[in-house]
Amino acid sequence: MNVSGAAIAARGVAKRFAGAAALEGVDLDLAAGASLAVVGPNGAGKSTLLRLLAGLARPSAGRIEIDGRPPTHRRARAALGYLGHATLLSPGLTVRENLVFAARLYRVPSPRERAGDLLAAEGLEPLADRRAGALSRGQAQRVAIARALIHAPALVLLDEPFTGLDRGAAQRLAARLAELRARGHTSVLVTHGLEHVRDLADEALVLSAGRTAWRGRLEARGDDLERALAQALEQRERAA
Amino acid sequence: MNVFLAILWKDLVTEWRSRDRAVAMGLFAMLVVAVFEFALPDGAGERSRALAPALLWVTYVFAALLGLGRAFALELENDALAALALAPADRGWVFLGKAAANLLILGVVQALVAVVFALFFDADWRPIALPLAGVVLLGSLGLCSAGTLFGAVAVRTRFREVMLPLLLLPLLVPVISGAVRATGALFAGAPSVPFEPIQLLIVTDAAYLILGFVGFEYVLDE
Repeated sequence: MNVSGAAIAARGVAKRFAGAAALEGVDLDLAAGASLAVVGPNGAGKSTLLRLLAGLARPSAGRIEIDGRPPTHRRARAALGYLGHATLLSPGLTVRENLVFAARLYRVPSPRERAGDLLAAEGLEPLADRRAGALSRGQAQRVAIARALIHAPALVLLDEPFTGLDRGAAQRLAARLAELRARGHTSVLVTHGLEHVRDLADEALVLSAGRTAWRGRLEARGDDLERALAQALEQRERAA
Repeated sequence: MNVFLAILWKDLVTEWRSRDRAVAMGLFAMLVVAVFEFALPDGAGERSRALAPALLWVTYVFAALLGLGRAFALELENDALAALALAPADRGWVFLGKAAANLLILGVVQALVAVVFALFFDADWRPIALPLAGVVLLGSLGLCSAGTLFGAVAVRTRFREVMLPLLLLPLLVPVISGAVRATGALFAGAPSVPFEPIQLLIVTDAAYLILGFVGFEYVLDE
């Protein structure tokens, strides 16, 4: 099923923690249905940007809109699927219950059936009745991805989604993300390396020390993404 | 409403499996009741009865503090709190879901404590069971709504175990005052519960419920 993706507009976004700037003056325009990779070294502000886009934190300055609404608006929240560093799973519930819980939160019709379908589609059925707290990192990550996508969100925000996945699971996730992209879902993928970036994104944003270091469309070759990322890494090394 | 029911279901299922909050609260409450029983001298029957409403509510409040502190600490694991914050509804429904789960779990502990309390203090509460349950419900509603709101505030702070009682206890003064006076009137054999403490409880409960519903929109922000 094709969906109408959600557009993102951010102007002069800054986030400071106890006076220290994690992000400063970031602008971002992403059309509905486009895919953006946010890359940069550790501490560049990638995850902070993603949490601001998800409405989990509010910017210290600047403005963010998802389809013309602030990310904290309930309609904006209904449109987004978020996968963070942590899995967001309730450890006391089983895998199936976690998916049913998420489906209920997002008012997905027939939550149990939807959870069952997703378990089958993602090859998670053998884990269905195991508690989330007893899963390995890779298994929990697979469930967390299923959880983030349970309501077929128009905007998908993924923070290092390949972390902890074995090769098979990573290939399955890459195929799933490519499928979402083809169907018109907007996506923002945060990663510190360039693996998967050219396959899964149309555009890239390189962050360095909380600021935009490079922004552009990804071509098969001839863009400056690698150079911009290398410079960001160098800058971080010098700062360290 | 979906979010409210989903969170209530999730919290009750989690508690039913682990029973860590109910057991901790229950054991603590029993210990407090036992300490009161040993602390009061033999033959102080009338004095014990006069102190019973205050002792009962001291037990309830401190047992509740134990449970309320855990309610959000559990959500820190795997950043499950973010999953609640992302729910596509007014975050007030998250507040109501958590508060309702807290109220139900506390209610189970309170019922158990009331029975043990009556046995230790040699009191027959059966004739006043219904109005007493109503007073306890009103008092607990204020306790759980303020406790849920400030539990969420405290959970992101560095000294959350200390912070919750510090934030909460001053705000509970009107709740405890109303609840102890209404309970005292019932224990003293008043024909009906006096209106003034009940009014205080209703007003305080309403204020904390509204504050929690509205304030949760910002409390769940990082």
